[in-house]
Amino acid sequence: MRITRCAFLLAALPLVLVAARTQEANPMHSDEDFAEGKRLYRINCGVCHGMEGKTGRGARLARRSYARGNSDAELFDLIEAGIPGTDMPGLWLEEDDIWRILLFVRTFAETASEACEPGAGDPAAGKEVFEAKGSCLACHTVGAAGGRLGPDMTYAGAMYSTEQLRTALLEPAAEIADRYRTVRAVTAEGEQVEGVRMNENGYRIFVMDRSEDIRSFRKRDLKSLEQPDQSLMPAYRGLLSPADLEHLIAYLCSLRGPGKEDAR
Amino acid sequence: MRRTLARWTLAGTLLAACLVGAEVNNDDLLRDEAVASDWLNYHGGYSGHRHSLLGQIDRSNVASLRVDWVFQKRISEKFEVTPLVHDGIMYITVPPGDVYALDAETGAQLWRYSRRLPSKLIACCGLVNRGLAILGDRLFMATLDAFAIALDRKTGRLLWESELIDYSLGYSGTHAPLVVKDLVMVGTAGGEYGIRGFIDAFDVETGERRWRFYTIPGPGEFGHETWAGESWKSGGASIWITPSYDPELNLVYWGVGNPGPDWNGDVRLGDNLFSDSVVALDADTGKRKWHFQFTPHDVHDWDATQVMVLLDKEYRGRQRKLLVTANRNGFIYMLDRETGEFLKATQFVQQTWAVGISEEGRPIRRPGMEPSAEGTEVYPTVAGGTNWMSPAYNPDTGLLYVSCREGSSLYFKGETEYRPGTRYWGSMFVNEQTMHNWYGAVRAFDPVTAELQWEHRLFQPAWAGLVSTAGHLIFAGTSDGFFKALDADSGEELWRINLGAGIQASPMAYEVGGRQMIAVAAGGGLFVFALPRPDGD
Repeated sequence: MRITRCAFLLAALPLVLVAARTQEANPMHSDEDFAEGKRLYRINCGVCHGMEGKTGRGARLARRSYARGNSDAELFDLIEAGIPGTDMPGLWLEEDDIWRILLFVRTFAETASEACEPGAGDPAAGKEVFEAKGSCLACHTVGAAGGRLGPDMTYAGAMYSTEQLRTALLEPAAEIADRYRTVRAVTAEGEQVEGVRMNENGYRIFVMDRSEDIRSFRKRDLKSLEQPDQSLMPAYRGLLSPADLEHLIAYLCSLRGPGKEDAR
Repeated sequence: MRRTLARWTLAGTLLAACLVGAEVNNDDLLRDEAVASDWLNYHGGYSGHRHSLLGQIDRSNVASLRVDWVFQKRISEKFEVTPLVHDGIMYITVPPGDVYALDAETGAQLWRYSRRLPSKLIACCGLVNRGLAILGDRLFMATLDAFAIALDRKTGRLLWESELIDYSLGYSGTHAPLVVKDLVMVGTAGGEYGIRGFIDAFDVETGERRWRFYTIPGPGEFGHETWAGESWKSGGASIWITPSYDPELNLVYWGVGNPGPDWNGDVRLGDNLFSDSVVALDADTGKRKWHFQFTPHDVHDWDATQVMVLLDKEYRGRQRKLLVTANRNGFIYMLDRETGEFLKATQFVQQTWAVGISEEGRPIRRPGMEPSAEGTEVYPTVAGGTNWMSPAYNPDTGLLYVSCREGSSLYFKGETEYRPGTRYWGSMFVNEQTMHNWYGAVRAFDPVTAELQWEHRLFQPAWAGLVSTAGHLIFAGTSDGFFKALDADSGEELWRINLGAGIQASPMAYEVGGRQMIAVAAGGGLFVFALPRPDGD
């Protein structure tokens, strides 16, 4: 029945105390903690972040750094309290269990296939391939220079794994982000337009054409509209030598932000 | 002395009634579809039709419909409310725990109630609220910290609050309550957190609990044996949409949510009653008269929390009291709402999990469609062939209008463990790999034959409901931010506006100052539309 606000707050207090963080760094490290963290992750987190932190509607966890903080304490607080205004809810487990989950989540960044490793290639030679032989700058930006039709490569080394880069170079159509889907349209006047899809709704489609002009079309006015599972990017298998490909990957892996080309 | 006091009290009551307009009484609620200017119940009426008798806006003039006013708040949650309107005042909830009274003609704020909520709320799908109930001078709300509360409709002052249960165990209240006679009814959300769902009925005056119905039967009760072991204690079966009500039969029709854990049913072998069912409860006592389960032992998260549409129609040569509902599992069902007898089920979206529905109403399952460790692709999606967004029924066209969702999900099965107040899901679903086949549609069905009459295709599956009006219009929202008017006879689009945010609410209609208004929540705004004033003002 009707209760006082005071009694209500008191009733809520024990729950508040249960999950509060008492440490700055993760105190969990044993194999048992890891196994338990993995189990708890799969039960509580996998539904949105994927069992390996790579798929799902939640943020990709298989990366080296996170937008909302990288320290143990920051990540603990994110897991515990969630992110207001997003679908990430709080996970009100006991402190030790949250640390155990974090112990497991930390391994995502170390997953070998996820890390971008320069390998045997030479980044300096790769830069030349990128800018000259490969004509990559025509569509991709690095820092201040380059084209706009393809994804920005300024942070490529921080964003993509070696495998992802290799696949993108050899089979660019294997995985195309929604923002870069290929569009081919023919207008009522017969103009043929090819470009990437910037946005679309029930009535219109917005395309960046090959001249980087942003075009808006009423779908019903178009003679034809196709969105083939193809990429505007050429497949570089055969176009570049295996050695050049390795150089190119090494260069891309070295890109960590403006003025932050990895010296490794 | 006593006499004098009584006289004064009577005089005061009469005076108050004159000053602020009539209170909402039970007769108003019963004939709410006839009180065309008001909107007194989440669905616009007890029958779940979401049909307005207002016809000022019609097919001939809807092209000139325009925004009349907008109410905006900084809302980072989904804005899912359907407003109530009475006597020129609009009442809305704003997530997570606010209530506003607005001048229905201009949107000006009259008062605000803001609930102080604990910081650690537990809700699977956003800190949402879908609206209020009204009776007398009281408004009723279910809160995210699992209370039923009553507010003074003239000031927003808290009159009483009654705890449903300790919210920290995973319970919450999100749906607009239902008022029947002197009771206000509220069910508990939390089907993803190992709750044991229930419905409470409170005295509208005092907040005292009159009855409780558990959506999962306890030991010794009918249906208890449909839960293996101790699984009944944490089997979900939540309530998160307003029920329909038949005053003649005095039955309330509740759609019940999914069993938990959602995607791994191994710990809860059996049919899991009354999850994914409609239960018909006596409004006075909360006793179950009948139930019907759409998806026994569900492993796809297909809650039956869709609107139960009550229709009186001839079926197989005799007039019957029908209940029609488009279910998340991909079939439209028709039941006799007096007895619960299953009459018919018809597929209304693509589905791959059932070969069909038996004569008794049980699905005949297609093998291999259960969630698996490697993922199983099944139609419809985890969000279902439709969901909580309202359908509409227009008595003039005789058609049932449903916002349909086409597509598939990958369903995964995994480990699970019950811990109070934490997720109890049994793995996950993935949509990214299957979204290429997703689209939405507003479809019009003959509710008796379930035959499709027309389809208006949508770019994406929608989360917005529909409202039907006497102007032969269907108003619909879309996920790409459009609000549009369709011809109720043909589905042809007659008007649209881009509201700039995906719509996740069901629209409604009311009248104020002699003008018909249409309202819908989108993004952080409540948008209200009307025809231009004749005087151009």
